[in-house]
Amino acid sequence: MLIEVVDVCKKYSDKIHALEHVSLSVDKGEFVSVVGPSGAGKSTLVRMLTCEEKPDGGKVLVAGRNILQLKPHELPYFRRKVGVVFQDFKLLPQKTVYENVAFALEVCGAEPKEIHDKVPRILDLVGMLKRRDNLPDELSGGERQRVSIARALVHSPKILIADEPTGNLDPVNAWEIIDLLSRINSRGTIVILMTHNKAIVDRLKRRVVLLKNGKVLSDKVKGGYII
Amino acid sequence: MNRLTIERIIKLGLVNFWRNRWLSLASALVMTLTLIVISIFVILTLVIGRTSDIIKSKMDITVYFNDSATTDQISELQQVLASRPDVKEVAYTSKEEAEKIWEQTQTSQALKNIASELGENPFPRSIAIKATDPSKLDAIAGVINSATYQSIIHKVSYQDNKVLIGRLISITTFTKEIGWIFSAVFVIMSVLVVLNTIRLAIYSRKDEIEIMRLVGANDVFIKTPFIVEGIIYGLLACFLATILLWLGFLSLQPLITEHFDPGVALGVRVFYYSHFGWLFLMQFIIGVAVGIGAALFSIRKYLRI
Repeated sequence: MLIEVVDVCKKYSDKIHALEHVSLSVDKGEFVSVVGPSGAGKSTLVRMLTCEEKPDGGKVLVAGRNILQLKPHELPYFRRKVGVVFQDFKLLPQKTVYENVAFALEVCGAEPKEIHDKVPRILDLVGMLKRRDNLPDELSGGERQRVSIARALVHSPKILIADEPTGNLDPVNAWEIIDLLSRINSRGTIVILMTHNKAIVDRLKRRVVLLKNGKVLSDKVKGGYII
Repeated sequence: MNRLTIERIIKLGLVNFWRNRWLSLASALVMTLTLIVISIFVILTLVIGRTSDIIKSKMDITVYFNDSATTDQISELQQVLASRPDVKEVAYTSKEEAEKIWEQTQTSQALKNIASELGENPFPRSIAIKATDPSKLDAIAGVINSATYQSIIHKVSYQDNKVLIGRLISITTFTKEIGWIFSAVFVIMSVLVVLNTIRLAIYSRKDEIEIMRLVGANDVFIKTPFIVEGIIYGLLACFLATILLWLGFLSLQPLITEHFDPGVALGVRVFYYSHFGWLFLMQFIIGVAVGIGAALFSIRKYLRI
């Protein structure tokens, strides 16, 4: 297993238990949808997987290593192996499409040649090469999310986590994004999709983990969205 | 860290500075003011210290004799003093020489003629005693003030000088103390202002920092641009303070030349230019140190990675 979440608990106060004894394994090349209503604990799980927050109990293993024991200087290198996409895109408004993706490489010390080679290739993969010189404000929601996915892919991560990537999109754009995620998954990247979009989950016909009130209620290999 | 990373970090620092340019300029100006205040106090302390040193080295005891004192009595005292190991020099001034000195130092003719108009020379004979070390003057003054010589002595100038020197020393001490207090207040003020500016820069770049963290940028890459920003404030303040101080000095020069003699004006000029490099270095060190210090504090307090 590439990712193993073992008995993870997280509470923010005595009343708010975000995650309660959550266990989950994801193998190489899998596409997993984690579904559940708002407040189910999906975003908390994302923060555990990206090592932004530490659980109160349990462990999170990625490629056999407990990421909770990563030293501060190791964290950036770990994060380069895990791409994350958010509902609000998190693009820099004053940078063009190209610059937004290049920025992710620049801040990690990539050489200009590597940037010139990689960025157009990834923009082409997500279908945004033609809009490379546009600013985020000049793009539609779907296009922005594509740029955000391109940025997440720029370090060739083994895992791509998408936290409600279609939350701000209309159904057509939403499905295009899911289609893009499926294509990325078919190239060997694990995709973990956090969503509460029933239509998408039902149509995907891939593994579905149902999370509710911080607990895993079901885990089906070819599931639908049933609460 | 390779050259490319350093370049990118410096570029980000400059972009930070430019993006909040008015706030950045305000911070740099407060820091400039701090450096100017510190420099002025340092200059004042140096000038007063130097002046009191010069005065101390020139300090002597002048003993003015009563007209009734005989030449023998005077030369006896002169010999007693000259034989002391702590006395460097004993110089005798006769009534005629004293009159000449008076005439030479007065500009008004009416005052110059005063002696001849009086009909007799009013100036007393005197001896000026220089010690090997100004601190020995007290002991020498003790001998002169002893009962043996009181009948022939009209006045001893040492007491007046002593008061003057004492006053000078207290002014120096006072200036130093005030200088320290003002400098400390201004340093604290500029640290606070720079701290706040960098805090705002961190806040305005919240999204960028979050993205940097998300895509796996190193801590160094995220934090160092803010330190670069702090250094830029320091450098800018250092250059501004140097230029303003220099302009201030240039505009003061005509005043110095007008009110003091050319020697003093030249002395001040030589003093300023000989300390120019030293002052610049001091401003540079304080400016950059305050910039880095405030940036580090701000990063520690407000930047969560």
